[in-house]
Amino acid sequence: MTTAAEFVGVTQRFGDFTAVDDIDLAIPTGQLTTLLGPSGCGKTTSLRMLAGYTQPTAGRIMIAGTDATRMPPEKRGLGMVFQSYALFPHMSVAENVGYGLKLRKVPTAERTRRVAEALDLVGLGHLAASRPKKLSGGQQQRVALARAIAITPTLLLLDEPLSNLDARLRVQMRAEIRRIQAETGLTVVLVTHDQDEALEMSDRMVLMRAGKIMQEGAPVDVFSAPANRFVAEFLGYENFLTAADSSLLTVRPEHLALGSAPAAGGLHLDGVVADVAYRGVDRLVTVETVDAQGTTVRLVADVRDDEVTARPGERVTVSASDSRLIRLAA
Amino acid sequence: MLSRRTGLLALPGLALLLVGFLIPSVAMLFAPPGVSPLDIFARLGSMLTDPYDLAIIGRTVGLGLIVTVVSIVLGFPIAYLLARSTSRWAGVLLALAIFPLLLSNVVRTFGWLVLLGSNGAVGQLLVGLGIVEKAPQLLYTELAIVLGLTQLFLPLAVISCYSAVAQVDPGLDDAARGLGAGRTRTFWGIVVPLSAPGMVVAATLVFAGSVTAYTTPYLLGGSSQRMLSTQLFSYSSVSIDWAAASATAIIMTVLVFAVSGLSAVVGRRGATS
Amino acid sequence: MKTSRPVAASLAVAGYIVMIVPILFVVATAFTGGRSLRFPPEGFSLRWFEAAFAYSPFVSALVSSLELALLATLLALAIGVPVTLAIHRGRLPGKGIVEGLFLSPLIVPELVVGLALYQQLIIGLRLDNFPVLLIGHTVLMLPYAVRVTGASLALADPSVEEAARGLGASPIRAFFSVTLPLLRPGIFSAGLLSFVTSFNNVPLSLLLQSREFRTLPVTMLDYVQQSYDPMVAATSTIILAGTVVVAVIAERTVGFARIFGGINR
Repeated sequence: MTTAAEFVGVTQRFGDFTAVDDIDLAIPTGQLTTLLGPSGCGKTTSLRMLAGYTQPTAGRIMIAGTDATRMPPEKRGLGMVFQSYALFPHMSVAENVGYGLKLRKVPTAERTRRVAEALDLVGLGHLAASRPKKLSGGQQQRVALARAIAITPTLLLLDEPLSNLDARLRVQMRAEIRRIQAETGLTVVLVTHDQDEALEMSDRMVLMRAGKIMQEGAPVDVFSAPANRFVAEFLGYENFLTAADSSLLTVRPEHLALGSAPAAGGLHLDGVVADVAYRGVDRLVTVETVDAQGTTVRLVADVRDDEVTARPGERVTVSASDSRLIRLAA
Repeated sequence: MLSRRTGLLALPGLALLLVGFLIPSVAMLFAPPGVSPLDIFARLGSMLTDPYDLAIIGRTVGLGLIVTVVSIVLGFPIAYLLARSTSRWAGVLLALAIFPLLLSNVVRTFGWLVLLGSNGAVGQLLVGLGIVEKAPQLLYTELAIVLGLTQLFLPLAVISCYSAVAQVDPGLDDAARGLGAGRTRTFWGIVVPLSAPGMVVAATLVFAGSVTAYTTPYLLGGSSQRMLSTQLFSYSSVSIDWAAASATAIIMTVLVFAVSGLSAVVGRRGATS
Repeated sequence: MKTSRPVAASLAVAGYIVMIVPILFVVATAFTGGRSLRFPPEGFSLRWFEAAFAYSPFVSALVSSLELALLATLLALAIGVPVTLAIHRGRLPGKGIVEGLFLSPLIVPELVVGLALYQQLIIGLRLDNFPVLLIGHTVLMLPYAVRVTGASLALADPSVEEAARGLGASPIRAFFSVTLPLLRPGIFSAGLLSFVTSFNNVPLSLLLQSREFRTLPVTMLDYVQQSYDPMVAATSTIILAGTVVVAVIAERTVGFARIFGGINR
């Protein structure tokens, strides 16, 4: 697997504030890499440094093997989709999409063809003559995509592309972007704060916090084995407890069982049912118990077996097999 | 994308501002040809103590205050009714109130010469209604100046108040009425306080304008009702008394700055309360 | 229409009377057949319009006013638009102060500015009247050029320029193909406001006039000193007609009320 772009020891400081703290990151070619994290973690700053809108305070940005750190944005040949789409309001959709091609002095016939191709790819061929302000949010976003793709960029950069869309459209567009990436084979770097988006769309996830990379890897690897508490919490884990040896453990709700059937090793804790939330397909049972260090913790178990009873106030045992327990660094 | 180069684009403008405005203004205020700053301050001092000059300052400020109050009293209702109106005429009426701003002060003030003159309509109306026996001298009075200045600055008051009222959520009225407040209480207790910033802006603009206006006091005041602006012109072009001109200019500028500063302070206070 | 609030409505009507009635009287007087400003006007005639068109000081003053307004507006825009860019898109130390500085000509009384320029530049530096008049008007228009175009720029999505750059446009190319078109309504509004303000200006034009160059408002002011006849009314009516045309153009292109600072109707 080759590397399309690379951050080498990159730091970004704005006065006293360090937005990106000495990160090394390789972006693999032909894959969709997600930069995921809460606001202020440095993901958008990193994207903008890749695009050339901000210069790193230290370190190098490599693009296709060349040191692009000092290169201005217009020379980097990257396609970027902004969170606000940034469509040119005084141009039609076709003129927007063809803008980069016109700058590269692509002959008119070929330009028209490539604009049409890009618009077909995003399913908007019929809106070529419309003005951006007449389009819906989802359509504008797809025009922005087409515009970035039309110049056959080395990298496609997406800055929170779905956050301005309503929930239903968001889900739809996740699949769309996945499909477009697969069809074109483009290297995509996507910035988001939504872990569901990252899990569904990425080939590779990079979790960031306070300017540092907390963990990176394929979604299935990161999700099943979060390295530390931050990653686990960000991905939605909620059961945290301390083991006898002071190490931090977490376990998924669906791997917690109610009842007194012991398994060899693993987790056995006695507690009291605090709450039961019935969700039709399952029940989320919150049990208040005490971990190995004596701290009171609340654990949530996802119970699908209708035979198992749990009522608030009842005494129960929660258990999990050793293989399901995840050890975390702090 | 911020770049240092783009910042340099401001240089020609700064140069023009410096050479064509800031430096000449400061030089004129404090060091006119053949006059020392001490002369100016001496003259300033005498202006602030001499009864003749004080009367002029008093008239300028006093009329300015009257015009300000009248402009808001007449302008706010216009702004409120237009901002809350659903009629399609509201836009036309708003344009009608703003349009006079595009006309020269000479044109707008000249109308009062027609109306208030000895053969003018107002005088004849008063005689016709039997209020007076002979058409009174309305021109070259303080009343004429007030009318003329109010006409000039009402549009500004309307614009400022309109922006302010338009930003007050009409839903608040509904909320208050639902809680039991009557129309009057809703108006005075909700709309007026929330529109206050706009009224402050209106007052500042109108007062500053009234205190510095030249054409209208000149046309409608004649030589008996002098204001700071007509005095300034006289010192500049007639008697060529630079010390007096600078002193008068200083008084005018201080008045305007004080009012602007006051409104800024009030505005900030209002924002935090 | 608004009879539910009688007090407010009466005050509003009074306000409109004060604003509009004098102008109506000027127009009415312009069509009088008589020789004076007496009311009611005697007969209907266009003689005063003929007189106004024939009176050469008015005609040459009109031409002068138009020339000055056009030049000052163009200059103000040429200098002011780059300033707007510098403030909103450039790295400028003390941005707030700079912006305040460019708005300051609005605060200082025009008479004071006129006197300063007259005293320092014409008398002090012995410059000719017209250049100083032009400088004065341009300085006075600068706040409009900066503030009104600034409002346009602030409304525009800043990412649009970055998008153009990312697609391969150099900074200059990005400006001309993307930023400038976005500024067009602002530039037009600023131009219109500036032109009208310059044309109508009295204090500066009064103090900085010369025998060869006098503007129309100043000439009219002068005329009223000597003669009290309806010719001024006729000239005023002609100016009014021209201004109505300007206002209609403004309404058709950018929306009349919007020009005066963010009133969205």
